[in-house]
Amino acid sequence: MDNPLTPSQRLLIVATFVAAMVLAVIPLPASVELLRPDWVALVLVYWCMAIPERIGIASGWVLGLFLDALYGSLLGEQALAKALLAFLVLRFTLRLRMFPRSQQAIAVGALIAISDLTVIVINSFAHGTRFLWSDTAPMIANIIVWPAVFTILREVRRRAKIS
Amino acid sequence: MGTFLGWSIRRPSNLAKLILLACLSVALMVADAHHSGTVRAARETILDVDHPLQEVAALPLGLWHDAGRDLRLNGRLRRENARLKERERGLEVKAEQLAALRLEVAHLSALLHGKPRTPGTRVGLARILDVGSGPFTHRLILNEGRADHVFVGQAVIDTHGIVGQVVSVNRDTSEVMLVTDPDSGVPVISERNGLRAIVFGTGSLDRVKIPYLTVTADIRPGDVFVSSGLGGVYPRGYPVARVIKVTSNPNVAFLKIRAIPLAHLTYHTHVLLLWPRAQARTQVTHHG
Repeated sequence: MDNPLTPSQRLLIVATFVAAMVLAVIPLPASVELLRPDWVALVLVYWCMAIPERIGIASGWVLGLFLDALYGSLLGEQALAKALLAFLVLRFTLRLRMFPRSQQAIAVGALIAISDLTVIVINSFAHGTRFLWSDTAPMIANIIVWPAVFTILREVRRRAKIS
Repeated sequence: MGTFLGWSIRRPSNLAKLILLACLSVALMVADAHHSGTVRAARETILDVDHPLQEVAALPLGLWHDAGRDLRLNGRLRRENARLKERERGLEVKAEQLAALRLEVAHLSALLHGKPRTPGTRVGLARILDVGSGPFTHRLILNEGRADHVFVGQAVIDTHGIVGQVVSVNRDTSEVMLVTDPDSGVPVISERNGLRAIVFGTGSLDRVKIPYLTVTADIRPGDVFVSSGLGGVYPRGYPVARVIKVTSNPNVAFLKIRAIPLAHLTYHTHVLLLWPRAQARTQVTHHG
């Protein structure tokens, strides 16, 4: 609450989310599709870690609603998952910041995996889909790309002087 | 800390927020699963916002598709180009053949229709099978023979004049002596003044001679001699030769006249055989 965001900073944060969403729905060949990281979740995790006073559960929830519309999933499914993710990150944000990068990546991957789990559970309730081991591939991809996402977004944040 | 309707309250904890939003999510999902109109409207509103985003996302794939299509198109065009070029070569050959055929057709139709028919004669088309041309013999072999009522001494013409006469007849072929054969002589008459003469062959395909004209004869270059009908072999009125040079030597009694045959002896593949009408009539009576 100390440093209110300027409109341009706000716009920049929204832009990172939009970029993540574009990456999330860009059509890819089926073989690569499996390893597509959950870009939106990664960006959300970063902003929750960096500015927990601004980006939090409500932001995650709204973001999730947009994703639901984009994915065509049940409205509220991704919203719940992303709200949960934001909650988890806020809960552990101090610890996450302290972790070395590799450990941080694994921890972030685990948090996203938990939030993904809710989606899987909801899907199995709503559509009766089974859990598939291939569902874990994006979770591993998340861990792999996290350091890169973190570095890029930190650079963006520093340039824009968001704190 | 904040106030809510006068009560001072704490900011809701994260957990409280999560629980609230989770409940909201579940409510939304349940409504969505039951196809609630309100939720559908909400989804459509959100999709309107999302739409440009989808467009952007579809852009690279679209470009990729376009590039792929262009490449495929390129390859297809190349192949098509090669095929068309090959075909064009074939067509060029055909066009050449067609041009030759067209020439022949024009010639044939000229032979058959262009020539005003001389009364009292009948014409028939004959194909040249072979050309025999030694220095002293100018002969054609035609594909018409005795079976086609060809007879020895029959006149052979083309659209431009007299070609020669039939000198021997087989069953299916006949031999024609050209007017340029050294043995050939055609009784002619000058178109200009009626001067009678005889055109002899020289053994050269583009030369004939008109001997035995005295130095007093009225003849000059450009004169055209047509057949006179004397001698009974050639019918009257067909062009035979045109004078190109007249030389007078005081030591010789006769003029030296060089002329060219008017029939196109070295062109085309068809000539006309000429039957006198009387002959045709006798044939008819024979058959009748």
